[in-house]
Amino acid sequence: MSQRKKKERDFHNLSTPMNISFNLIAGIFSLLCVFPFLFVVIISLTDEGALANNGYRLIPEKWSFSAYQYVFDMGDSLIRSYGVTIFVTVVGTIISLLFMSFYAYAVSRKSFKYRNFFAFFAFFTMLFNGGLVPTYIVVTQLMGLKDTVWALILPLAVNAFYIMILRTFYSTSVPDAIIESGKIDGAGEFRIFLKLVLPLSLPGLATIGLFSTLGYWNDWFNALLYIDNPNLVPLQSMLMRIETSMQFIMQNASNSSLSLEALRSLPQDTSRMAMVVLATLPIIFAYPFFQRYFISGLTIGAVKE
Amino acid sequence: MKMVGEFFKNINRNKVMLFMVLPGALWFLFFSYLPMLGTVIAFKEYRFSRDGFWASIVNSKWVGWDNFKFLFSTDDAYVITRNTLLYNIAFIFIGLILSVILAVILSEITNKRLSKIYQTGMFLPYFLSWVIVGYFTFSFLSSDRGLLNGVFESMGIESIQWYSESKYWPFILVFVYLWKAVGYNSVVYLASIMGIDRSLYEAAMIDGASKMQQIRAITLPLLRPIITIMTLLAIGKIFYADFGLFYQVPRDSGTLYGVTNVIDTYVYRGLKTTGEIGMSAAAGLYQSVVGFTLVMASNYIVRKFDKDNALF
Amino acid sequence: MSTRRKKFSLLLTSLMALTLLVTACGGNNNAASNNNASGSTPSKSEKPVELIWYTVGAPQKDADLVMAEVNKYTKEKINATIKLKMIDFGDYSQKMQVMAASGEPMDIMFTCSWAFDYVQNARKGAFMQLDDLLQNQGKDIVATLDPAFLEGSKVDGHNYGVPANKELPAQEVWRFNKELVDKYNLDITNVKSMESLIPLLKTIKENEPGVTPYAMVKDFVPVMPFDYVIEKLPMAVYLDTEDYKVVNILETPELKETLKTVRTFYKEGFVSPEVSTVTSVDDLYKSGKWLVDRASTQPFADNLWSTSMGYPIVSTPAGDPIIYNWSVMGSMQAISANSKYPEKAMEFLNLLNTDPVLRNMIDSGIEGVHYEKVSENVMKNLDKSKDYDMPTFAFGNVMLTYLNEGDPENKWDEFKKFNESGIDAPLLGFNFDTSKVSTELASVQNVKEEYWAALMTGTVDPDEYLPKAIEKFKAAGLDKVMAEAQRQIDEWRAATGK
Repeated sequence: MSQRKKKERDFHNLSTPMNISFNLIAGIFSLLCVFPFLFVVIISLTDEGALANNGYRLIPEKWSFSAYQYVFDMGDSLIRSYGVTIFVTVVGTIISLLFMSFYAYAVSRKSFKYRNFFAFFAFFTMLFNGGLVPTYIVVTQLMGLKDTVWALILPLAVNAFYIMILRTFYSTSVPDAIIESGKIDGAGEFRIFLKLVLPLSLPGLATIGLFSTLGYWNDWFNALLYIDNPNLVPLQSMLMRIETSMQFIMQNASNSSLSLEALRSLPQDTSRMAMVVLATLPIIFAYPFFQRYFISGLTIGAVKE
Repeated sequence: MKMVGEFFKNINRNKVMLFMVLPGALWFLFFSYLPMLGTVIAFKEYRFSRDGFWASIVNSKWVGWDNFKFLFSTDDAYVITRNTLLYNIAFIFIGLILSVILAVILSEITNKRLSKIYQTGMFLPYFLSWVIVGYFTFSFLSSDRGLLNGVFESMGIESIQWYSESKYWPFILVFVYLWKAVGYNSVVYLASIMGIDRSLYEAAMIDGASKMQQIRAITLPLLRPIITIMTLLAIGKIFYADFGLFYQVPRDSGTLYGVTNVIDTYVYRGLKTTGEIGMSAAAGLYQSVVGFTLVMASNYIVRKFDKDNALF
Repeated sequence: MSTRRKKFSLLLTSLMALTLLVTACGGNNNAASNNNASGSTPSKSEKPVELIWYTVGAPQKDADLVMAEVNKYTKEKINATIKLKMIDFGDYSQKMQVMAASGEPMDIMFTCSWAFDYVQNARKGAFMQLDDLLQNQGKDIVATLDPAFLEGSKVDGHNYGVPANKELPAQEVWRFNKELVDKYNLDITNVKSMESLIPLLKTIKENEPGVTPYAMVKDFVPVMPFDYVIEKLPMAVYLDTEDYKVVNILETPELKETLKTVRTFYKEGFVSPEVSTVTSVDDLYKSGKWLVDRASTQPFADNLWSTSMGYPIVSTPAGDPIIYNWSVMGSMQAISANSKYPEKAMEFLNLLNTDPVLRNMIDSGIEGVHYEKVSENVMKNLDKSKDYDMPTFAFGNVMLTYLNEGDPENKWDEFKKFNESGIDAPLLGFNFDTSKVSTELASVQNVKEEYWAALMTGTVDPDEYLPKAIEKFKAAGLDKVMAEAQRQIDEWRAATGK
């Protein structure tokens, strides 16, 4: 621990004025990013009547918790949605890290004869896709995933974009010499990958892991397509369903029977914001989790031992 | 015969790597390549058949390039192509510069805890859907209740009808995009910086290099591979536009179309009533082919100068 | 530090093994679902048929509970059970489009003019043609419906959907916030045209600074004497047409005149300055800071509006009750083209539209749990009804549903009267086949989105923008679309003798 501190001090011999200005720049931008979210929190705590009268305000005329009341009234369906989202995010991230770290490693190795073919094989899918209907058919009819939790996991498991990033991480942060030395020591390819390559490319893996986590957490579209069972609907999908239905009904307000019946069951503005807060808060903690692996200044000697 | 033998020898020699590629390759096969067969509907007038999708495809009639025509039939073709390209170019380059600068700053800040707090904050915009981002821009720009016009009024400046003045929107859209994307993108660069061998900096410091010199001589050159890859990949998507950004944020205001209409919004609006999936497949194919051509060209150029950093 | 890294890689490896295992197991599920071909021996009592029914609305908590009851009832009546799947309003069109295109197994599905478009999907072959089924299994439906329903929902001469028996014509009314009307003693009896509103709006504008006098949204279109070939595209025939000539409404003197009035509204500040981007005036409704807007009505609508807004609303007609294609197709159930049991499906629809027990069970849930009966045809919602809150209009014959406490006794009689008062629009029963002009239509649609809202809400000066819009529509190929529409209308007239 003490060794680490010392190293950090050595590494960051930033002059004080520069440090201050760096802090200012990053701080202001960060504030700019946090501000709207704070605004969401404030709106979710605004009294519905005050909101209709005054519009969005930083300091509302009247505070109220009733928006959260509405959300908590959903009770077990909210908890179940959390459960689905968390399960899908955790399992999905693990699966995609596995698939992608293997694939990217193989295509990063110069000794792999087919590396260019497989790099292209992945890259091509970034640009061309079959569209909604064919994909739907493959997932539901060929694989029979409709209304299963796998329909939320597998379609997002592999992403060519991430593979390309990961490949670059491997090839920049793992010098060939290390792999060669592993070979000389008589280690097999798998052993080299696990013992030498993975530890060296942790920041890269953490980045992709983070992106996967966020991708799974934020995904609502797969649920829209593949899930009919209300018990399998993830959080974002529930939120999105309410958003889009709300917009739809508003836009069809001239349709008398629709607007008369559907309008009354619509949640208020504030409740939607409360849902945004509840859907976002937990995932904010994902970033610090992955951040831990952004450990700076890894020296190659440390791995070689 | 000899070639077949050679082939199996190669397979055997690469079997570990092939095994590693296998799960991902299978995934691509099933989730990407198999559905790609459906692209053929771009050349069909798609009609449902009782016996499912493939029967529908077979029974639908061929229409050649008809489904592509709507993309090029009016002057709008020029407007949407120009907007899509220019915005994406701006996003790619300004986004790249800002993300890298931000990543360098974050990696250099002495107080690690503060740095982590900043990073977490920068991630928040990623979680807000475009609909909600649209609410916010509106709460700033609304002509009678907006924050900005309120400030203008108190300063005695005439208020602006933001949603009908197209001259401001290129800036607003670029700003909103960068606000949402830079924090997210900078993580890639930040992680790359963290992966740089620390002994390089130590050596530079012994030589008496200043921080700026270190950044210029070590950090940026070592970021080049990832910058190249990220840019190449972004070029592939240059004909795709973020629908929510261009539809929700300007509140679909007709008077702004000159600067907000992009390929994706044009296709959406055009097909809203008829819902011809053949035509939307055609639009997607067009976007893909152009993006593909551009990436291949840029990749070719990169290969010439810097073989190691090319895509393949 | 390095132990943490080691732990991470250990975690990765062990999870790798686990997932390979899990995914391998997951693959086996497919085999199990393939066993329905084996039951070839005919059983003595016919096995009940399961009908898959997709319809619109937010999924309800108690749906499974209610459907279990419904299934007991339908099994007894028609030897069929129902698998109900609800998809919320905002997702319905997209999801159904994908499912229909991919041949997903479905039997019955909700369709209409405003979601999962009926005409379009009937033409594409998503629905089964129902002419014979309606004559046989569905003959009770035919008997209960006003003939205009089935006539107006024909596509190329055939029925593809069962319209719900509800309000038939569409009538526009001006709605007023009664508190303001009373406060300033405004006379609304003489209001009919937009011009006649101006003095009232002026009063409010001058005396109530925080109030938006006219609550307008971007979808606003003035009441015009036209029957549109496609909703909100500028080609139409006059409502009193004799020759069925398709005109470009932007070139008509009526529109020019009306746009001037709307422009006055905008300039005088009767509407929000950003009206051309406003999709909802919900905040105005909630705060009561508006005087008038326009809506389409049905009998006793004022009561419903007053209840949902929380303050009294009065209305006065802005147009005649007219039966349009879109008003007829406001809510329908269709049978999927790939349904294995079309006859059973029609039997079920027949029961749904004629049997009060089934209709009310699906609509209001289980008696004693979700509602209780006050008298023969009046009911009261219980607390649990919030767990089963269905959109009534989407489930067939509305006139079979029990009245709520406080509803007027003669509610359904008034509906029938209202339906009888409807005047047929000239194009009732004609539906434009767009497949020959889909390229032009896509461009025309884009021009429409660009100019329509700005023009119709008075945001831009019509003298300057109307000619621009006309020109751009022409460039996009509107003339070709109109010519095609004219050709089809002439053919349709020749075939039906209109």
